Amino acid sequence: MPLYKLSYFEERGLGEVSRQLFHLSGTPFWDNRIPFDHWPRIKEYTPFGQVPILCVDGEELPQSFAIARYLANQFGFAGKSAFESAWVDALADQHKDYLNEIKPFLMVANGFAEGDKEKMMNEMAKPSIRKYFTILEKQAKDNGSNGYFVGNSITWIDLVVSDHMGVIETLVPNAFDGFPLVEAVRQKITSEPKLKEWIEKRPET
Amino acid sequence: LLTTMPSYKLSYFPGRGLGEVSRQLFHLSDTPFEDHRVPMDEWPAYKDSTPFGQMPVLFVDGKPLPQSFAIARFLADQFGFAGKTPFEAAWVDALADQYKDYFAEIRPFLFVVFGFGEGDKEKLKKKVAEPAINKFFGILEKRAKDNGSNGHLVGNSLTWIDLQVSDHIGVLELYLPNAISAYPLVNEIRKKTTTDPKLKEWLDKRPVTPF
Repeated sequence: MPLYKLSYFEERGLGEVSRQLFHLSGTPFWDNRIPFDHWPRIKEYTPFGQVPILCVDGEELPQSFAIARYLANQFGFAGKSAFESAWVDALADQHKDYLNEIKPFLMVANGFAEGDKEKMMNEMAKPSIRKYFTILEKQAKDNGSNGYFVGNSITWIDLVVSDHMGVIETLVPNAFDGFPLVEAVRQKITSEPKLKEWIEKRPET
Repeated sequence: LLTTMPSYKLSYFPGRGLGEVSRQLFHLSDTPFEDHRVPMDEWPAYKDSTPFGQMPVLFVDGKPLPQSFAIARFLADQFGFAGKTPFEAAWVDALADQYKDYFAEIRPFLFVVFGFGEGDKEKLKKKVAEPAINKFFGILEKRAKDNGSNGHLVGNSLTWIDLQVSDHIGVLELYLPNAISAYPLVNEIRKKTTTDPKLKEWLDKRPVTPF
């Protein structure tokens, strides 16, 4: 088995899905959490000046979704066929497009930028959430309402969406009203024993 | 092992845009496909039949797959342009994601120079385009060097990120001549990619479109 190290900040953010893949698969890894004040000094030594970074037997790989897809492929959480994997990728890309749309709201809501949080929530966040979650709800339905977005087992897009819902619900009340099948995916994923175990014991951030 | 080839259709606008890399993968691999071009005025009627209300959409034996990068990665995997190992494939993906981040940064400039909106081109060039280009192409230049200055961004053969970057440079140079003059290794990659005989054949005969 290769030696794995995942470097990211001391928070869930863009590192959490990859951490979850290690825990779900029972794969040992070095969960390297970088304190914020260390970051300026080590940034220039990273491939893209960013984290997360995955190290596999000492070889580095940047970019959170490239890392998640790589680990998911290694551990069996990337769909059961090439076409299923491609659908997981398509949903992940749609997730990124959606995140780009609501980023200005998230920056303000999390205190990283100035702005009218209430106005941005109503004019930007809620419509974007509605548009993206409508796609997810239809996908969950077309996939057979079986508690997964793609195929009939956990894939990394299930983890991405479930984790993100945990972030949004602290910022936008009733964000997921009208999306029962998406809620059902989140319920199913977060009650998966190995994942539940990690979620309960992980650092609070 | 005899396998029947699936039937492929790629639906996109009559332009290069987000469909071009996938078209190139078909031509590079000599794989027949229906190059379905949807004129702008027919798009509203077609839109609802697409999974995400967007194009491109790839149809594999009639089954749809949306999102340009998911399509490109799927085709690259099928045809051998996704790197030779899972780790190489992951590096292609990482560079593609970095390209997306860069594109989001430079979009306000491109939006104006493409003629989709009003804006101060000179100001956007200095404040938006140049920093974004320097950051991203700096990463690419280093990556090209670390990969052995062999004319590819990953491994020692053509991958879909070579196609994506080369195509984008072509777009950039329409509005910023000498855009990549400070990045000689990246320029080498573009030259090697665009002189690949099969690709050159397509580039020479493809429809000329504004985008």
